[in-house]
Amino acid sequence: MEEVQLIAGLRAKDRKTTEYLYDKYSRALFAVISRIVFDKDIAEEVFHDSFVKITRKIDHYDESKGRLYTWMANICRNSAIDKLRSKEISQSGKTNTIDDFVYGMESQSGTQEQIDGIGVKELMIELNDDQKFIVEYIYFKGYTHSEVSEEFDIPLGTVKSRVRAAIQVLKKNVARI
Amino acid sequence: MDIQSYISSGKLELFLLGELTEREREEVLSLAMMHPEIQRELDELEETMFSFDNMTGVAPSQEVKDKIFSTLENDFILKEAPKPTTAPTDTKVVPIASPWKPFAIAASIAAIVASGAAFYYADKYQERNDQFTALLQDQSVMADNLNQVKQDFEEADSRLDKFVAGDFKRIEMKGEGFDMQKDARVDVLWDQNAQEVFIAVNNLNELSDDLDYQLWAIGDDGPVGIGLVNSGEKLTLQQMEAVAQAGAFAITIEPKGGSKSPTLEKLVVLGEVA
Repeated sequence: MEEVQLIAGLRAKDRKTTEYLYDKYSRALFAVISRIVFDKDIAEEVFHDSFVKITRKIDHYDESKGRLYTWMANICRNSAIDKLRSKEISQSGKTNTIDDFVYGMESQSGTQEQIDGIGVKELMIELNDDQKFIVEYIYFKGYTHSEVSEEFDIPLGTVKSRVRAAIQVLKKNVARI
Repeated sequence: MDIQSYISSGKLELFLLGELTEREREEVLSLAMMHPEIQRELDELEETMFSFDNMTGVAPSQEVKDKIFSTLENDFILKEAPKPTTAPTDTKVVPIASPWKPFAIAASIAAIVASGAAFYYADKYQERNDQFTALLQDQSVMADNLNQVKQDFEEADSRLDKFVAGDFKRIEMKGEGFDMQKDARVDVLWDQNAQEVFIAVNNLNELSDDLDYQLWAIGDDGPVGIGLVNSGEKLTLQQMEAVAQAGAFAITIEPKGGSKSPTLEKLVVLGEVA
């Protein structure tokens, strides 16, 4: 389905289109949330709310301001960050790292997850320490680039170029796998 | 602008991560609209982020899916047409000896009519859908155009503000007294307080590629070059370099790129400040 059709179908509140959206994007969007909110139940709750929000706010989506996936991923990311920063989670004192994430993926039982989880390590493996650090904080802990810059005293320009470099490596690895 | 260095600045990644301010977002969007390379890079980066997310993620559980769709249940708008035959027969108690044939025939006819209608409407729907898609595309083209017009308008508007608010003096430079181009005419608009100079070319001959028209402000310290004149842009305003003091303005023909001091033999027009 073309993106234009997909959006038109969502705006028309069509059930089939919504199911298509779910099938195509739920895994990726859930990944965006799970990277930030580590607790599976809370992550699913955030995902539920985000997905419902996406379908209900589709009229607010403006094609001229970016592609659909970016818009959806930002909604999920922001909801996850809001959740993470709300008291509910910060009291439990959980923080995520790439290692936790990879470990978490691997330790889950069942073949489905094992197949799904293949690739995380391979995707990360060629990142150098600086890039890994950036991916960890921006992708996995939900920091903004200016927060990383301030907290770790790294110039903003350097953060930007490391984000770029890291995503370029991911791009290459994604294409390879 | 240098597109490659813009692409590698890291701004596009931050755009996708939703970390830019509204103004920076607008900038990325309008540059992407103008430069296909930037749009292509954005599309590729988005594709990468999606693949990365998709590959590293696990599917959410079936319970969440069920819960989401039951939350959304009342939002969906049903498009299915009501079935014409079922409702009346279900409620009525049919006598055992009822003649079933006429009903069967009626039902068959109804079914044929209904499926004919279904095909007809499916076709119509597809047609409308295509039209709708085409309209969406038209609309985005129009939005682009509107943006462009808006920019042009804002530029023109800010110039107009300048002219209304400023104290511009008009100096007519004419070619009558010289041998080069008798009918040449260029006007200088000069706001002495703001030191701003604009010119409007009324009539100037085209030059060969190795020559340029150069504007001079002639003050107490002699002539100062204040920019090259585009002879092709007739009757639009061209902004020149700032001038605080001048008794006259003149244009000469100089080698491409202009000279340090004017070639007086090739003086084309001259106008004195009244």
